[in-house]
Amino acid sequence: MSILASVSEAVGAHHRFVEEQVQRARTDGPFREQLLERWRQIRAGVGTITTPTGLKVERLALPQTDDPGAIARYLHGEGLPGAFPFVNAAYQSMYLETPEEEGRSSDSRAPLAEEPTRLFAGFGLAEDTNERFHYLTRHQKSIRLSTAFDGPTLYGLDSDADGVFGKIGEGGVAIDTVDDMERLYAGFALDDEHFSVSMTINGPAPILLAMYLAAAKRRFGPEIVPRLRGTTQADILKEVQAQNEIIFPLDDSLRFLTDMVEFTTVHMPRWYPISISGYHIAEAGATPVQQAAFTLSNAFTYAELFRQRGLDVNRFGPRLSFFLDCGLDLEYLALARVCRKIWAIGMRDVFGAETRAQLLKLHTQTSGRSLIAQEFRNNLTRTAIELLLAYVNATNSCHSNSADEPFTTPDEENVRLAAHAQAILLEESGLFKHVMNGLSGSPGMKMVEQAVERALLEEFRELDQLGGVLAAIEHRYQRSQIQSAAYRYEQQIGNGARPIIGLNRYAGGAAKMPAVKVVRTSRARKQHQVERLKKFKRRHRAQAEPALLQLTDVVQRGGNVFAQLIDTVEHCSLGQITARLHEVVGRYRPTV
Amino acid sequence: MLTAVPICDGHDSAINTINLEFVRHGMEVIYLGYHRPARDIVRAAIQEDAVAIGLSSYNGGHVEFFAEVLALLKEGGAPDIGLFGGGGGTITEADARVMRRQGVDAIFFAGTPMAQMVEFVRRTYGKARKRPARCFSKRPPGTDRELGRLLTAAAMNTEAGVAQLHSSEKRTVPLTIGITGPGGAGKTTLIDEFVLRFLKARPSGRLAILSHDPSLVSTGALLGDRAAMLHAQDDRVFLRSLGTSGRAGGLSPATECCLEVLRRCAFEVILIETAGSGQEAMPFSRDLVDKAVLVMSPDYGSRLQLQKIVMLDVADVVVVNKADRPGAKTAAAEIEPRLRLNGRAQQLLCTMAKKHRDPGVDELFGLLTS
Repeated sequence: MSILASVSEAVGAHHRFVEEQVQRARTDGPFREQLLERWRQIRAGVGTITTPTGLKVERLALPQTDDPGAIARYLHGEGLPGAFPFVNAAYQSMYLETPEEEGRSSDSRAPLAEEPTRLFAGFGLAEDTNERFHYLTRHQKSIRLSTAFDGPTLYGLDSDADGVFGKIGEGGVAIDTVDDMERLYAGFALDDEHFSVSMTINGPAPILLAMYLAAAKRRFGPEIVPRLRGTTQADILKEVQAQNEIIFPLDDSLRFLTDMVEFTTVHMPRWYPISISGYHIAEAGATPVQQAAFTLSNAFTYAELFRQRGLDVNRFGPRLSFFLDCGLDLEYLALARVCRKIWAIGMRDVFGAETRAQLLKLHTQTSGRSLIAQEFRNNLTRTAIELLLAYVNATNSCHSNSADEPFTTPDEENVRLAAHAQAILLEESGLFKHVMNGLSGSPGMKMVEQAVERALLEEFRELDQLGGVLAAIEHRYQRSQIQSAAYRYEQQIGNGARPIIGLNRYAGGAAKMPAVKVVRTSRARKQHQVERLKKFKRRHRAQAEPALLQLTDVVQRGGNVFAQLIDTVEHCSLGQITARLHEVVGRYRPTV
Repeated sequence: MLTAVPICDGHDSAINTINLEFVRHGMEVIYLGYHRPARDIVRAAIQEDAVAIGLSSYNGGHVEFFAEVLALLKEGGAPDIGLFGGGGGTITEADARVMRRQGVDAIFFAGTPMAQMVEFVRRTYGKARKRPARCFSKRPPGTDRELGRLLTAAAMNTEAGVAQLHSSEKRTVPLTIGITGPGGAGKTTLIDEFVLRFLKARPSGRLAILSHDPSLVSTGALLGDRAAMLHAQDDRVFLRSLGTSGRAGGLSPATECCLEVLRRCAFEVILIETAGSGQEAMPFSRDLVDKAVLVMSPDYGSRLQLQKIVMLDVADVVVVNKADRPGAKTAAAEIEPRLRLNGRAQQLLCTMAKKHRDPGVDELFGLLTS
């Protein structure tokens, strides 16, 4: 029986528990009285607020019921925001503005405690992206940088590798060495508690994080390490299933990842070492339920691996974060709610985790796949609806795609429009800032929630019957499921069963691409990157080989590879390190 | 046709869908997979004698990449192999103009109906090839390009070709190894690991692979073995994919003829990989290969199932791959007495082909090449 079967059982047991509570509330007098008293207290504890238009409202929307059974089902089955099983929200107040904030003037603007907006950027060389980061954050007090890397970096190759010249700095930033990493975040206070960085890197994640650590130590000294805040994506399971950016064999990749998690858990308590991602699974074509099921099953598989390594679930659990796609399909009305619930039950009842490790902390991105090139301004509307769904599902943070993303790295205007869409939703509109749960718990949402949960557990059963996530991967189960779903999606677009406005319905004119200015990296910039990488290699010629030998030794002895990498990156480039690791552990063999 | 995704790019969702659509319309598609350098793509297209290359590029750098493919095609003596591609919205109209000027036949933009792509491919590359009269030349083919062409000719005239070849004199004697087994046993991985060892052991020797995938007569096929190969993407390896055209046993009607052509070239070893075969299959006649290898995974089912596997009596070497799986020991223990009973000095080996530097594969390589 795989861990997934245990989780499914725990979810079933929880359902039975909830129904028992409902029955008791209806039949057991003293129990009912206690429950109703608690409910009265909850209601009495909800504060009120007066909106700018003078309307007085409660700050938390609760079901309008005095039926003890319904109250029991709500409190145990959904939980208040911030209460187990966290269906409504991981935290109590999420996007609520405090009364002081509501009255503030625009120039005295202080940041929200946790601004949920994230800005994704990366292009050209380290300096180019650094400049973009400074531009994007110039009015923000809390700085949360999200970094995209170019193709060679994602595959652990150096910019001077054979055949990659054209790819340098395209679609992300080119990072070859610790020096580049230092340039990338130059001018930012990495030790500030309002600063965090997220790196979208997977196969070579331990090497890139080691570079970040080494670069940070150069600027701030070794005492910075425990204060570093940020996230590495490092989700190798979804790479095998969907995104194809794994470079070492799966077992070795998982070992390097576990080494990294072991290190960060002990030495970098503010770091999120792994962002368990459904986004790429969904973008590769998975249905929303497949996205949720594969993501959660991957997450439980990681938890199991880390536990086997001897790590304490209450230490690594709170440092796991999640990343989901939010598109336009009906499932998204409740998908994240279901995920929070199943994670909480699994972590509490199967892994014995305490509250902090039961929370599914969620970053959402609107669906890139839902955006199209034709009549691309419609993408603003698509993204706005997706944002609404994401926030209705109480995401902890969110990235909204730019309308021009189907054809290019977004330009500044479109990035700004996308970021402002979030501000309009949270700060300008009254939907989220006055009332918690203002849009949660409609009958439609509950119905979708139940349907999604059933389908998700059905998928868990299928995975379990194949022997769990890792065995299913060997059968290429997840890949083939995602591919069939992708094929179906395309056919639906082709035959009109899936209307896409401006494409297969209400198409305005010729299917012509808009003339847009494309952000590209010039030949000269690419050449510059190659030159300085060569200089780095010359400068470290004498120390590189001893450093690589030491690394090899740690790999073979079974030591912590991540801890060693922090030294290795001082003398070796990304490509030198991956090449050596390939010699020692081999390459990932692609599956179709 | 050969399809692939360029180096440093893992976006294979579009190409997977397009592959299926091409196959559905009766085309034979050889899929090379994602993150593939231009050199590997061109080598494969030449060896497979593809009419065209289709590239799906989503990670930028497409202008340079397509240009590199065109340059390598020219260098390899194959400027007539077509090149087309797409990249959703990442390739702009301006890029496409540049690329078409360089010699790319077509770039498809986001939102192109799949029917339009199929129609383009039919119209541009679909002309029936002339059936060549002869499928061997006086001298052995000097380049992969010539050999690729010759194999196409051989495959098109199987009977006449075999007769011609048998009557022609010159013939080297490369070691020919046949590898068969059920689908999912890990044949392709095992072969790729064999190739790695070959390339290390013979610093200048060349090796050929005839790789079979299932297909039906006159319908499309997706030949995907190359996509899972790492080491076979090498100038010293010649790999040709063949569809079985509905023939049972995992070989193609063209296999014998192609093999005869390969035997006239300077290869040290020829590997024949069958399509995943059933229990009753016996793809190799005695004179077709020098050594026959049966690859199995531990999960073949019950002992009763084992009784029905005909190849167990014919194979020279039986490999239980995936030896880390539960049941591997039992499998070996069940197979061993059967082989002993045959009294033919058949060898039994356990391997973990997916493991880097697996000693079992080392042993197999030694056994087959000694």
